[in-house]
Amino acid sequence: MSNGSAVARNPNDAPRASSDARLSVEQVSYAYSANPAQAPLFTLEATSFQAKPGEIVAILGPNASGKSTLLKLIAGELAPLSGRILLDGFVTQSLTPRTRAQRIAVVQQESVLLFPARVWEFVLQGRHSHGRSLRFESADDVLIARNALAQVGAAALSGRWMDQISGGEKQRVILARALAQQPLLLLLDEPTLHLDIAAQVGLLDALRRLAAENRYTVVVVTHELNLAAEYADQVVLMQRGRCLRVGPPASIYQRELLEQVFQTSLAVEFGASGRPRVTVLSGT
Amino acid sequence: MRPLTIQRVFLQCSILVVILFVVVVIALKFGAVPVSLYALGHDLLRVIFGQTSQISSDYGLIVVNIRLPRILLGIIVGACLSVAGASFQALLRNPLADPYVLGVSSGAALGSILALIAEPHLSLSPAFAALLTPMGAFFGAAATITAVYFLGRREGQIDSNTLLLGGVITASFLSAVIMFLMNTLSGNLRGLAFWLEGDLSTPLQKSVYWFLSIGFFVAAGAIYTTAADLNLLLAGEKEAMHLGVDVPRVRLVVYVAASFLTGLAVSVSGAVGYVGLIVPHVMRLIFGSDHRTLLPTAALGGAIAVVGADTLARTVVAPAELAVGAVTAIVGAPLFIYLLRKRLS
Amino acid sequence: MARALREKERGPTPQSVSWGFFVALEEYEVRPETIVKDVTRPRTVIYAAIISLCAYTVPAHAQTEPATSAASPAFRQVIDETGRTVRVPQPVRRIVSLVPSLTETVYALGLQDNLVGDTDYCDYPPEAQKKTKVGGIMNPSLEEIVTLHPDLVLMKRGLNRIETAQALDSLGIPVYGTDPHTVDEIITSVKKLADVLSAPEAGVSVANDMHRRLDDLRQRLGSAAAKRVLFVVWTQPLISVGKDAFITDALRYAGASSIVDSEQSWPQVNLEEVVRLQPDFLVFATSHAEDAPHEIERLAALPGWRMLEAVSNHRFAVISDAVNRPAPRIVSAIEDLARQLHPDAFAEKPDGGKERMDKENPAPKTKSPARAYFHPLDLRKETANPRGCCVCAL
Repeated sequence: MSNGSAVARNPNDAPRASSDARLSVEQVSYAYSANPAQAPLFTLEATSFQAKPGEIVAILGPNASGKSTLLKLIAGELAPLSGRILLDGFVTQSLTPRTRAQRIAVVQQESVLLFPARVWEFVLQGRHSHGRSLRFESADDVLIARNALAQVGAAALSGRWMDQISGGEKQRVILARALAQQPLLLLLDEPTLHLDIAAQVGLLDALRRLAAENRYTVVVVTHELNLAAEYADQVVLMQRGRCLRVGPPASIYQRELLEQVFQTSLAVEFGASGRPRVTVLSGT
Repeated sequence: MRPLTIQRVFLQCSILVVILFVVVVIALKFGAVPVSLYALGHDLLRVIFGQTSQISSDYGLIVVNIRLPRILLGIIVGACLSVAGASFQALLRNPLADPYVLGVSSGAALGSILALIAEPHLSLSPAFAALLTPMGAFFGAAATITAVYFLGRREGQIDSNTLLLGGVITASFLSAVIMFLMNTLSGNLRGLAFWLEGDLSTPLQKSVYWFLSIGFFVAAGAIYTTAADLNLLLAGEKEAMHLGVDVPRVRLVVYVAASFLTGLAVSVSGAVGYVGLIVPHVMRLIFGSDHRTLLPTAALGGAIAVVGADTLARTVVAPAELAVGAVTAIVGAPLFIYLLRKRLS
Repeated sequence: MARALREKERGPTPQSVSWGFFVALEEYEVRPETIVKDVTRPRTVIYAAIISLCAYTVPAHAQTEPATSAASPAFRQVIDETGRTVRVPQPVRRIVSLVPSLTETVYALGLQDNLVGDTDYCDYPPEAQKKTKVGGIMNPSLEEIVTLHPDLVLMKRGLNRIETAQALDSLGIPVYGTDPHTVDEIITSVKKLADVLSAPEAGVSVANDMHRRLDDLRQRLGSAAAKRVLFVVWTQPLISVGKDAFITDALRYAGASSIVDSEQSWPQVNLEEVVRLQPDFLVFATSHAEDAPHEIERLAALPGWRMLEAVSNHRFAVISDAVNRPAPRIVSAIEDLARQLHPDAFAEKPDGGKERMDKENPAPKTKSPARAYFHPLDLRKETANPRGCCVCAL
């Protein structure tokens, strides 16, 4: 159970009407133990937050803080111990894998293919959840896949083989496949890990643009403080399986709080756009 | 960007059907006893119109009573093995998987050994006695499928790696038991060694052919309904799940159906090797990896391969015969090496 | 019901999403004529089923009895040595033999003119090699057999496969199987076979001859103690004969007794055991007697074998491979073995015995390049090493 003060929301936030929120995570908790008789190895304490269409939410925290677990719970990979997750009012737990895939798209960091495939085939896989179980893709599907590629700026790669494109291009293609699912929710787990600065910025710019244009809700797990500060509309701050605070970056990025969570000396400034910027202080 | 359409699948299959037809005609024509194409056509027409009593020539009878059933068996066995092989390669996410990797053929062999041991102690009509070995093999296969299923589960669902481990261990164990039995038992088990290499020469009753073909279509059909899911499964199980595939259900369906196909094939023809391993790869090279086209083309390709191999087995050292498995191994192994190098280059 | 639920779960497609896509979609137009219709699975199944059903009417019509070529209304019901009931046409004019020993027997009965086909391995008497070949012992060609229109096909349990018998059954061709386990059973088998082949007198005559020679032999050997021998079928691994094999019985008639007592037909024997038992003689059977001394020397040099007294004292007996075939010629091999094991009992040579032996054991063939003594084909002809091809079993 959570300590009341630690989870206190920013009093300036008005409680959201549930009809506004697309994604509603309500008191979701999780525990994992290898042996049922033993104490759990890992727990995620009850966490809640909400997100609207067009919003980017960053789940922020150091390693082993439960960020990925929370994302997996939202994605439906894991079943929560308690609480529930609502997407447009529907409980995600009760969805079949197919219907879930029509609404939630997980963008992988990379994809290992057993047999060679072309980029367009790969993106077309995103259409699998729409339509009957045994079907051949229709022209509509082809159109949607093509548009998805265009939206990520990878239309030119359409005919190339997946194992012949660069890492950054592959990232874009994987994103395109997620877009082809026509989801309501986009989930990304540490998408910037293997990317250089330019690619990181490019990806997040694209996410912001897509979220705005297509009204996606985007949830990104990251430990990059500045990227989260720059792009997120909401931040969920996690530490050791507990959600410490939920709110816009301005309310989260307070020096004492961040130093406590990340265990390092920091300086927080506010830039012209109103978004905080964090500098790591070297030395003690 | 040209996605797969049902028309293209039919076109590809039609090409293979034509090739299969040609191979079947060649198989009917060639054998220890030469047959002319004209007489062949004549006799086949008579058969189709039900005038079998008018087939007076020896050759006609040989063709119809010996070669045709054998060719039919070859088609079914080839189709079963190739579809099973392609399915296991997808299920286990391993291009080296073949229908026997999970121990089904060892179980079938053990079942047929037990049937052979029991046969002298049971008084059976000749018709039933001829069926005893295939039935024993089939039940042996079924028992193995069940055992490996339970071995291959993790947290209540089939897990690919655990399944592979369980299957390989079971296969080894059963092979050891078979070796032990063959060494210690004095009975007429030497025929079994021949059968283990793959043998299509035993004509079977009509009912068996019906059972085989219905079984094939049911099982292959079940796998085909998951064909699109299999495409996604190959990208990774997590990814497949995120893209909407009900992974546990697909795994179960494919496992049971593919093992059933293998059991069908092995119980009537022994363990014909290399077909289930190589035909899917060749079809992938020619027609692509999409399972919606791979499964039917592999079935037809397998039929072509086995009928062709069997024809060679019958004719190369005539009048003696080679075991079909020997021919598929001789042709298949170098072909596999070639495919491997092509993949790596 | 389930369908309705699904609709409800999915809810209305959020308009905003489609907008987003179609905003970017302006330049692309949906061309209705290119939309591919989904083909439902049931239709494809039905097409496939129809095609396959057409294909299967062919064998459906075809499974009929093949018309017997020459109408032989007379049949005789016999029970062969494997317990199967066989309908033998009378008289038997065309015989196909699938075992070398039965080919020999047919010749011994004087019925070789009725033999229309035999296996690739039927090599005695030499004329048998000129008969039409139908293939191997375990893998004969059904087609060839059918072409020859046999009245009866001869098989031996343990060598031929039951599947071959079943296949011939289903084609309407009678199969007669033999299964002798002792020398007496061999003689009885020859008599019975002669009876089935409509030549009972020849059978009685051959059987009497065999009995007489064996009785002679027994008298000659008198009360001489049986030599303890190891009958070597194969050297690597060391394989001998089990107590149920006719070879073991034949050894007894030759004044020998096999030191191996095993239930299996072809037991693998531990060399240590042999050393412990120290047989008096080692017995080898081959059709290439001229290679024997060289190969035995090679064997004698191997570790373990050297420890056998029989090896150091050069107590080897080499007989023809007729001992491997349950046919009348086995008696000659028995006599030859007796001669080698008990030379003192044969001080004066009986009339014609030696000549007959030489005739029945043909002179060495053209010298082939020195090869392993136990060439697989030598023994495969009749006994067929059961282990040879089984190593690769699964």
